[in-house]
Amino acid sequence: MKKLLFVTSFLALLLIACTAEPVEVVREVEVIKEVEVTREVEVVQEVVEEVEVVKEVEVEKIVEVVVEATPVPVDRTGPWVDTVVVLEEANADAAISRLEAGDIDVFADDIGNPTSFARLQEIDAISSVQSFGLYYEISFNPAACADEGVMNPFANAAIREAMNQLVDRDFISTEIMGGLATPRYVAINAASADRGRFAADIRAIEAQYAFNKEAASATIAAEMEAMGAEMVDGVWNFNGAPVELSGLIRTEDQRTEIGDYVADQLEDIGFTVLRDYKSSSEASPIWLRGEPSDCAFNYYTGGWISTAISRDVGGNWQFFQTAAGLPFPLFQAYENSDEFADLAQRLNDSDYSTLEERAEMISAILPLAMEESQRIWLVDLQSAWPYRSEISLSADLSGGISGSRFWPYTLRRGEEVGGSVTMAMPSILTEAWNPIAGSNWIFDQSLIRATGDAGTLPDPHTGLAIPQRIEGATVTAQEDLPVGKTLDWVTLEKAAEITVPDDAWVDWDAETQTFITASEKFTETQTALLKSTVTYPADLWDTVTWHDGSAISPADFVMGMILTFDQAKEGSAIYDEAQVAAFDSFIGTFKGTRVLSLDPLTIETYTDAWSLDAENGVNTWWPQYNQGEGAWHNLAIGIMAETQGLTAFSADKSTTNEIEHMSYVSGPTLEILGNMLNGNEEEGIEGAAASGFIPYEPTMGQFVTADDAAARYANLQEWNRTRGHFWVGTGPFFLQRAYPVEGNVILQRNTAYPDAANKWDRFAAPAIAEVELDGPGRVTNGDEAAFDVIVTFNGEPYAMSDISEVTYLLFDATGALVGQGSADAVEDGLWQVTLGSDVTGDLEAGSSRLEVVVSSTRVALPSLSSLEFVASP
Amino acid sequence: MAQHTAPATGGSSLADVEKASSKARNETIVRMGKFILRRLLAGIATVTVGVYLTVLIANMGGALDDIRRATIQEGVANFIALQALEDPEIRAMSQEQRNEMIAEQIALQEKRFGLDQPFAIRSFRALGAAMTLNLGFADQMVSDSGSKMVRNIILERLPATLVLFGTAYLLLFFLTLFGGLALSRRYGSWLDKGIIALAPTSAAPSWFYALFLILIFAGILNWLPFGGMVSAPPPPTPWGYAKSLGFHMILPVTAIVINAVFSGIYGQRTFFLAFASEDYVDMAKAKGLSNKAIERRYILRPTLPPIITSFAFVLLSLWGGAIILENVMNWPGLGRTYGQAIGQFDTAVIVSLVVVDAYLLTFTLFILDILYAVVDPRVRVGEGSNGR
Repeated sequence: MKKLLFVTSFLALLLIACTAEPVEVVREVEVIKEVEVTREVEVVQEVVEEVEVVKEVEVEKIVEVVVEATPVPVDRTGPWVDTVVVLEEANADAAISRLEAGDIDVFADDIGNPTSFARLQEIDAISSVQSFGLYYEISFNPAACADEGVMNPFANAAIREAMNQLVDRDFISTEIMGGLATPRYVAINAASADRGRFAADIRAIEAQYAFNKEAASATIAAEMEAMGAEMVDGVWNFNGAPVELSGLIRTEDQRTEIGDYVADQLEDIGFTVLRDYKSSSEASPIWLRGEPSDCAFNYYTGGWISTAISRDVGGNWQFFQTAAGLPFPLFQAYENSDEFADLAQRLNDSDYSTLEERAEMISAILPLAMEESQRIWLVDLQSAWPYRSEISLSADLSGGISGSRFWPYTLRRGEEVGGSVTMAMPSILTEAWNPIAGSNWIFDQSLIRATGDAGTLPDPHTGLAIPQRIEGATVTAQEDLPVGKTLDWVTLEKAAEITVPDDAWVDWDAETQTFITASEKFTETQTALLKSTVTYPADLWDTVTWHDGSAISPADFVMGMILTFDQAKEGSAIYDEAQVAAFDSFIGTFKGTRVLSLDPLTIETYTDAWSLDAENGVNTWWPQYNQGEGAWHNLAIGIMAETQGLTAFSADKSTTNEIEHMSYVSGPTLEILGNMLNGNEEEGIEGAAASGFIPYEPTMGQFVTADDAAARYANLQEWNRTRGHFWVGTGPFFLQRAYPVEGNVILQRNTAYPDAANKWDRFAAPAIAEVELDGPGRVTNGDEAAFDVIVTFNGEPYAMSDISEVTYLLFDATGALVGQGSADAVEDGLWQVTLGSDVTGDLEAGSSRLEVVVSSTRVALPSLSSLEFVASP
Repeated sequence: MAQHTAPATGGSSLADVEKASSKARNETIVRMGKFILRRLLAGIATVTVGVYLTVLIANMGGALDDIRRATIQEGVANFIALQALEDPEIRAMSQEQRNEMIAEQIALQEKRFGLDQPFAIRSFRALGAAMTLNLGFADQMVSDSGSKMVRNIILERLPATLVLFGTAYLLLFFLTLFGGLALSRRYGSWLDKGIIALAPTSAAPSWFYALFLILIFAGILNWLPFGGMVSAPPPPTPWGYAKSLGFHMILPVTAIVINAVFSGIYGQRTFFLAFASEDYVDMAKAKGLSNKAIERRYILRPTLPPIITSFAFVLLSLWGGAIILENVMNWPGLGRTYGQAIGQFDTAVIVSLVVVDAYLLTFTLFILDILYAVVDPRVRVGEGSNGR
């Protein structure tokens, strides 16, 4: 279609004159948007004495891990390298060649193509790290066709369920994906905390629904006959015509081969399959917008991505398999059993009071989901992120290198201190950079994060929040919530009721530019489900500076709080309707905040939003906006510009008003921002520097003096004069310069960064356990049998305290699951599975298989191993 | 400039001759004016039709609206899916609230792309804007520096395309012109046969040669860069920048030249041979004129109009760039912009590129019509002439 469009565009020119330059084939541009969005809401208030009774209760402690911030701090602060040169390289194969030749050091994009991956593995000079964010599935159209003469077999749940056994996921993983994938059967992501928690349940499902074409064919045949179809010469017929299925097959990646494979399997058992190859934009109108009862498709090769390690996948079943998932026709065609719908709803709403109850619910919904199978999961992709072997850096288990928060802290060439590293990305400076609503492209964000910092950071291997700028936090949860904690930096308390103080800030008045307190907004005392109290280090104000030299101050935090509310308020000078929806979801759970102390900075926050992990419930209020860090003074000039209608923070508002999207690093808005800062006599603009502009003065004026403002604007003027842009953060790198047309970005080490260079070296590689199972080759029925589970990482024993659970599953000679349980810890690196005499006594004679699943607290990816032994009478 | 020769009569006075000459001049000017006006009107009409067709085609006759709507819905679906999985605030919303949020987001996005208005109205609005060269804002694309104005998107990439393709095409033009001329003098020689044998190599596109050149000179020998316009980071001094630019142009220019040089020389050589076999050339030879004089007066002079035409189209072709070659070479030119615009269905950019091209083409043809009359006395303009 795109080729056609391109050619026909030129045909129009041919009408003008019978001449045209030869044209080349269109290269398809793949657009990947980052979909992870983090929101931090920031509110600061005057110091108020806290008067609240907190009941300390015993809570279930899963495993407590001591965070070692910096084992042996080194003299070097900030990043290991001095300079990161970033350039564009869109072609993965070209990138591999450039890596091999030493032209680039890191390719910050995933290699998902098996051929490229195979080539990558043959080159000694290149290493790679793997991530698990992408996953493929087959979505069925579950609706009966409006035309009664046409049959849609997938309207039958039993046939959909049988499809699980018709597809060989191992074949897809090894042959189609070239080993860059692992089979997936359930709605639990590979890189998630729940994968380890429910490893045994998942393994049981895998055994039950393993590839079995004969069984699948028999089930489908029985159901087809029951539906009125008949097999004629090996072909299913309905109403005298072959049952024709339409497979909507995506063309951009290996889903083409997967779609063909599924079609082959269906044809093998008697269906006629029309293979409808479509790109994303061509397929969307059919599978997502089309009316399912039109039966324009029967199955679709779907794909999803998660750029962060999920700590709770409880919402997956409702989203993926019920009408409540999305308000689109396909989802509305999903029908569920009452039991499934109830469980899905309760899991989504976190309607349980203990983790045990939640576990029971998930264990119950897993088989029900297989029975309904509105979609069948196929594979979790393993994407390889390549880099030169002498380079070390930390990648995220889900987001890879470009989705990692830690690559800037850990990037290093061998043992070298300083030097330069060249990193290539498919695209950079893809959209305008501004902290409020700038570019959210994953590659831009990868660089933006390098220039910023955060109160807490997500552990790249577990997804748990770990302290970066904050000292510590206390989380108080309502006592009936199953909130637990894993790490030692957070203190978890429980209370029967959490009341919101009357003086807590709960909303914002955009017209008076002041916060509204709880007592002003509500007549009755408010309660919250969760309270987090975060404490910053005493030396925060002395050690952390913005790149332009301005010391961070409480005003930066207050600005963040204000901007959380202001843009969504119609009375605001920078009201943006595109921000309203996100704000509504925030304000739906936000209950209030107040500052307990300015030195050290201590802030408490009340909310009804909570998660299973106390660590992830901490609200730090760090001035980190949706798309980057922002100091109050550089945001002030953007606010001035948007107020005057010259540019807008969001792309939506800029498009609607036909003005430029605000960029702090390049393009025409630099001049606008410069005018806002320095003034422009010709245009009658008085600059912020001259006027001492303090945004939201009724509130911000309490935290910013005229001298503070003058000093900050002077710093920003000098920064802009030397760097040519307005992008400032507090991160380990600063933006030296952006070359938009040439496609280069230069990041330079922030010498004022306070942390030691080796602070996060421990994240250089995920501690994925290596598991070996050892035991007797023959077990006599009725005899107790012990098996050793040897768990190591890099050849060293895996600490017992780092392992949350070792479970085992026992399959007998018929392949049936006959037992499961937990292994016992013996010592670091050694666990033991003991099969009692009652268990071995019931084993069928023949080859049995013992499987173990090791779940670690250091990495959200369980490790598996198995051992076969002979059971004999 | 057109010429008209009045018939001379033996009995006319000088005044009559001057009068007749003046009248003829005036008639010529009037005819020329009419001709220019007609060509201008015809040019505007064809540009209008061509641009509107492009608007229709680029929007798939309105069917693109469905794709856009579906893309918006899928985008919102993916976004909400991930939000719902990761963000407890979204998880805490009721189903009605969540659906309402999704509906609002979709409506907002559809409004942003103008999908709340009928395509027919939008198509004529787009035509009007394009014809007045009011290029406006892109649907989705942004310029390298972050601007959404189509003018900036194009202007930022134009220099890179002009410098690369200007260098390559001018090199090609003169290489093929003089190569063809030289070869026509050596008709039947080994060199002639060699060039003819190599002419089919032009069947492969320039990016094909670029891949091999990258493999050899960047990948294996490490002599030249893999791609890009300048080294990273770009040299700070103008001289350093120019040097780096030249260094990075070697491979793409070579690829373009290899792609077209042999067939170009072959074509020019055939072209000159055809003119060299005209009767008047034979007559000049019979008169005993030198080869140089024959070449200059009797071969080059009559071939000037087609050469000028060819040169004009060389200049015109600089505008387009080359989509795949620029992608292969990581060259930030208009070809990549074109490719991105098509890939993202950014009709505002597609139509703008086409309309500028259409205007340039029409203007070039218009100028060529006038130039022909100047350089070739055989060309006449207007009624009663034998112009061709």
